[in-house]
Amino acid sequence: MQARIVRKEVLPFVLYMLALVASTLLIDAALHLLNIVWIGRWLGIPGVLLILGSFGYSMRKRKLIHSGQPATLLRWHEGLAWLGSLLVLVHAGVHFNAILAWLAVGAMLVNVASGLTGKFLIDRSRRRLEEARQRMRDQGLTTDELAERTYWDSMTFDAVRKWRVIHFPITLAFGVLGLAHIIATFLFWGWK
Amino acid sequence: MKKRPLLLIVIALNLVVLVALAFIYPHLMVSPGPLVKGHAELATDCFACHAAWRGASSRRCIGCHAVADVGLRTTKGVPIAAGTIKGSFHQELIEQDCMACHSDHQGPKLTKRSRKPFSHALLKDAVRGRCSSCHEAPKDTVHRDLKVECGKCHQSKAWKPAHFDHALLASAALDRCESCHNAPTDRLHRQIQGSCKSCHTTEAWEPATFDHNKFFVLDRDHEATCDTCHKNNDYSRYTCYGCHEHSQATVRAEHVEEGISDFERCVECHRDPRMEPQETARGGERVDRRRNDGDND
Repeated sequence: MQARIVRKEVLPFVLYMLALVASTLLIDAALHLLNIVWIGRWLGIPGVLLILGSFGYSMRKRKLIHSGQPATLLRWHEGLAWLGSLLVLVHAGVHFNAILAWLAVGAMLVNVASGLTGKFLIDRSRRRLEEARQRMRDQGLTTDELAERTYWDSMTFDAVRKWRVIHFPITLAFGVLGLAHIIATFLFWGWK
Repeated sequence: MKKRPLLLIVIALNLVVLVALAFIYPHLMVSPGPLVKGHAELATDCFACHAAWRGASSRRCIGCHAVADVGLRTTKGVPIAAGTIKGSFHQELIEQDCMACHSDHQGPKLTKRSRKPFSHALLKDAVRGRCSSCHEAPKDTVHRDLKVECGKCHQSKAWKPAHFDHALLASAALDRCESCHNAPTDRLHRQIQGSCKSCHTTEAWEPATFDHNKFFVLDRDHEATCDTCHKNNDYSRYTCYGCHEHSQATVRAEHVEEGISDFERCVECHRDPRMEPQETARGGERVDRRRNDGDND
């Protein structure tokens, strides 16, 4: 059981985070080798746009928009947020100095970790609930009996699905810090 | 779920504090790096140089640094001692764009980009051609006799690589290679007293045009390695006994038979193996005569 948790949940989580760090280091090294570090300074913009694009799922869940399959939007949410975070990390790798910018990057990494935690928690709960239901179906239980016996499991699954209650304030903190960094940049930067 | 507004309020308060800190300590919270030493006192006054939403403005720089004084006097009117640059070139720029070269924030330690490289393209044409108006001429042996502008050999982008043309030298300097170049100290060269030009050209050191035939003609029977005649690569000496053809006993016998007792300095008489040495001419020199029978010596 322990080995299964490590293989199915801990390891993928660690791999997602390691892939993010490794990809950042690779791109950063390539920029330095090709002497095009200046590109990294601008990668913050597409990074932010990708992260904003990932909010389609969040808006769909809060019924701010009504089109799109939530499951598909969730895959896009994960992919775009990961890719956007990668670009922002490369942008951060150009070694900026200000504390506010570093706080924004820190909040972004906490946000990525929170998202991945939610993803694996929900996956595990869904898998366990399905396994329990299948076991009971195999024992010949009726639909009503099955619903009754998995009532608490269903409640747990619903509770886990509300991970976004935790994920949201972390995202909010990241959003405000990121916005403050962007406003400061717009305020002082000479765009030419 | 009722706790959520409280949580949001706590987060909002924290963020308000952070934003307030950004205004109170902008040099820590939003500055891309510490200011250069001369501007350290402006560290917390971002708008001394930056116009909101438009970035740093040359107009604000010029407000303190009058263009006519840049590089010549400080903002307090104190004359600046000339350094490596003879005078100020700021008055000769095609446009007053301070940020094209200066970024007063020193970058984080890993990047160090407080100053962008100066582009000579920003200089007015007339000034760009007169390097000496800003730069001191080098005083080393290569440059001290030159009277031409640096641009004849160097590019404005970098001092090296340069393309030196010896034609720029006066003829007197052109004949004195050693005034710029150190003579090679290998065995071949240290015994040579003449000018480098007798073997080398000003285009390149190699290939050299050393003419061995002046000393001894290397015909097809003498296509040997240098070490065959010049033992230990000592070019001040030679021996003809280095091959099977010329043994000391045979040479001695042949010359004694001819009544020649001085036969150790072979090339004195045998400078060209294709020629038969004649009898000693006036002044004690032998004159070579081309062999007719095709025999070798």
